[in-house]
Amino acid sequence: MSKPSDLVQGTLDLLLLKILTLEPLHGFAISVRLKQVSGDILQVSDGSLYPALHKLEQEGWIKSEWKPSENNRRAKFYSLTRLGRRHLEREADNWNRLSAAISHVIKLEEA
Amino acid sequence: MRFERWLYSIPLRLRSLFRREAVERELDDELQFHLEQKTQQYLAAGLSAEETRRKALRDIEGLELRKEECRDARGVSRLEDFVRDLRFAVRTLRKAPGFTLTAVVTLALGIGANAAIFSVVNAVLLRSLPFPNSEQLFTLSSNQSLPDLEDIQKRTNSLSAIGGITVQALALTGEGEPVQISAGQCNADLFSALGFQTAIGRTFTAAEDSYGGPALVVLTNGFWIRFFGADSAIVGKSIRLSGNSYTIIGVLPREFWLPGRPVDVLVSLRVTNPLAAKFRGVHFLKTYFRAKTGIPLAQARVEMQDVDQWLASQYPEEDRDFHRRLLPLRDAIVGDVRPELLVLFAAVGLVLLIACVNFASLQLARSATRQREIAIRAALGAPSGRLIRQMLTESVLLSLLGGAAGLVLAGLGVRLLMELKPAGLPRIANTSIDASVLGFTFAVSLLTGIVFGLVPALSTTFFGLNAKLKEDTRTTAGGSTGYRLRKLLAVSEIALALVLLISAGLMIRSFTLLHRVDPGFRTDNLLTMRVELPEARYREQAKQRQFHREFLEGLNAIPGVQAALVSELPMSGDYITHNFVIEGRPPLAAGSEPEVQTRTVEGDYFSVMGIPLLAGRDFGSEDRTGSLHVVVVNRAFVAQYFPGQDLVGARVQWARSKPPDWMTIVGVVGDIKHFGPGKPEEPAIYDLYSQTAQQWKRWMYPTIRGAASPGILLGQVKQRLWAIDNQLPVTQVFTMNEVVAASLDHQRFNLTLLGIFAGVALALAVVGIYGVMSYAITQRTSEIGIRVALGAQQRDVLWLILGQGLRLALVGGSLGIAASFALTRYMSHLLYGISPRDPQTFFAIPFVLLAVALLACYVPARRAARVDPIVALRYE
Repeated sequence: MSKPSDLVQGTLDLLLLKILTLEPLHGFAISVRLKQVSGDILQVSDGSLYPALHKLEQEGWIKSEWKPSENNRRAKFYSLTRLGRRHLEREADNWNRLSAAISHVIKLEEA
Repeated sequence: MRFERWLYSIPLRLRSLFRREAVERELDDELQFHLEQKTQQYLAAGLSAEETRRKALRDIEGLELRKEECRDARGVSRLEDFVRDLRFAVRTLRKAPGFTLTAVVTLALGIGANAAIFSVVNAVLLRSLPFPNSEQLFTLSSNQSLPDLEDIQKRTNSLSAIGGITVQALALTGEGEPVQISAGQCNADLFSALGFQTAIGRTFTAAEDSYGGPALVVLTNGFWIRFFGADSAIVGKSIRLSGNSYTIIGVLPREFWLPGRPVDVLVSLRVTNPLAAKFRGVHFLKTYFRAKTGIPLAQARVEMQDVDQWLASQYPEEDRDFHRRLLPLRDAIVGDVRPELLVLFAAVGLVLLIACVNFASLQLARSATRQREIAIRAALGAPSGRLIRQMLTESVLLSLLGGAAGLVLAGLGVRLLMELKPAGLPRIANTSIDASVLGFTFAVSLLTGIVFGLVPALSTTFFGLNAKLKEDTRTTAGGSTGYRLRKLLAVSEIALALVLLISAGLMIRSFTLLHRVDPGFRTDNLLTMRVELPEARYREQAKQRQFHREFLEGLNAIPGVQAALVSELPMSGDYITHNFVIEGRPPLAAGSEPEVQTRTVEGDYFSVMGIPLLAGRDFGSEDRTGSLHVVVVNRAFVAQYFPGQDLVGARVQWARSKPPDWMTIVGVVGDIKHFGPGKPEEPAIYDLYSQTAQQWKRWMYPTIRGAASPGILLGQVKQRLWAIDNQLPVTQVFTMNEVVAASLDHQRFNLTLLGIFAGVALALAVVGIYGVMSYAITQRTSEIGIRVALGAQQRDVLWLILGQGLRLALVGGSLGIAASFALTRYMSHLLYGISPRDPQTFFAIPFVLLAVALLACYVPARRAARVDPIVALRYE
């Protein structure tokens, strides 16, 4: 069971937004997709998923819509807003810079 | 960016708030859907049915907790908490109507009084002047003459318009009784300086504002409505003012306003009064300077200083020692009253403080009775932050209710203030409850609720809880923190109330002293009024003198009446000064001769007024036009210019009289309180209308002593007057006692307000003491029961309680005396005849407070004394 603290603070938002760039998904599908895409490494706990989604919605980065799911049940689908897309771009840039810097530092020590 | 975020978040938030059930249901559905999916996943992985459900639930780590987190993420719970707190507060307050009413009334008194005074402060001091870009408006501390203004205009660059105006009475004749109206005689530039256009028609142009120009008049809005019924076709019609016909060319907008006496019409000074307009030495114009946009005051001041020096060197006789210095117009208008309004504001602030202390004390008392409830809630896990928030909600609700009630009181208060008509306060007529008053009241209420709700809330949660649990087994005297705090509050209330009582006491003492002041003349049975002779028909002095003679003859022919004329009525606010020189004294530089009050009389003025003759002789029938020019001086004149010398026979004349016009002093009369009961008399010279060379002194106040009622007397006076000239209006009809009373209006205004504040403060303090003592007694009931059971008499119990109250009153009283001692000096400018540390007041007032405080203790003390020991001991 991976705790939310396993993820660097704020990266959960980034991951969720990124997952939603492809297509609107409901909560369960998001957690499944995240696990798949990260090759089973990253996993968000069921407990922290929904509060995080609600927070993103409140920020205006994603919006929700009730639609029939793949097995024809009503489910709440989240999709990215324009605002969210912009936020994601900015945050992804930040992340790339940060991770590049960190791996640079780590390689330096190995050398 | 921010806006776009709101586009998403605001509808969401509103939905969470107002469609709570739908949102909750969706949240539930969403999580249920998740659980189902998860269950199916586990089923597919081959787990048993009941185990999958349990595992899915475990994964989510507490369904309800997650829901709460989702609500938090939506930012709903905080608001919901607030709504819940509010509902709870409304419910609990409804259950305690006595407490609620007391708290709301207490706060309403404090806040209402503050809002009322603030609306005055706002109207007088804070609101900007009703002129466009009024920050660009300046004035000079002294009046100017028109030639001076013309020079200032020529020699400065930083000013865009220079207006000058003097207000004179003109007679409006036509139909019915002649009416006196006040005419502003101004230059054309005044309108652009003040920044006003006309509502109808136009103002006069610079070309028309010239010597010998057309007689045009601009009406103010009020005058247009009063006299012409707001006739929109008024332009082009004409009116007769003091015998001349004027064509109406425009009407000013309602917003037009001038500091000082209200104006009915505006005419060109150059056209109406060419003689005075040309005279550089007569500085009679109030000035309004508009600086060009972007010009700082400092730069304009430098220019003005240069002009001032130039004028002084160019025209030493007329323009020396004027020290022309530009002042922001607002400072010039309200500068004088600022300190005294601030005293009132401080006083009313103290009232609010007392009200707040009372409020805090009430809440403390209440929280004491609720401690069990609060302790239980805390024990059940309510975080103290939530408890404090809930208590604050209650307190703020109360203070806002108090503020709303206070606003109603303030509305009444403002009406009362207007009834008191403090004539000396400029702009007070604009006082109203406007947006800034509302804002002020709201802010004060909110602050009151938070600050004075925090004290009891904190004392309950932080200090109270543990103590409460330990304490509850036995109630002991003075044991709880709450009680100690309440004693402290009561002491500070007494101290604050004493400061206000002493201030009011000082005002009352100085007011009675003012009333007892001997004005130097007899004020009873004396009717006064003002009559002005229009220039058109009375330019020649021979005509004026003939009028004086006939008028006085007519008045004195009324049975039982003695009458005389004077140019400046005592205590009316009018005065005129002249530079003068004394024969045989070393000559002084032109312009720097001493100034003296000048009053012109006719008839037996001194005996009509009852002003005693101290030396020499009174004016007599031998003093006529053409005979030796004689004057009478007052005692202050002798004291200043002829101390210890015999001056009868000495000669004086107005400075720079051409040809020389020496006036022989023939007598000395007593000083009168010309400037009001509180002000000292200045050196004065009295001369005669029949001998003065000043043909411009065409106004007079008949002073008429007669036993008949003023109404009957006035009728007789008008009859005699209009028998001579039926075109002359009679204005400012007052008995002398009314004039004296009006001269004290200002003091009466301050006194009344401080008196009311002190009364409210005393009442609040009494409520405070009473509350604390009642509480103390309920706390000591069992102790009293034991005492009585052990043989204490009713009297002993009574004294026990009274002694406790007395201690509070003594401590509070001493603090109050000390505070007053430090503070009352700030009101010294409001006092007359006593020091701000007047020992009598400081001695007497605390006894009043002590007596009232003891009375407030007596009621609960008696109740305690009657306690039945059996009941008391059971009381737990």
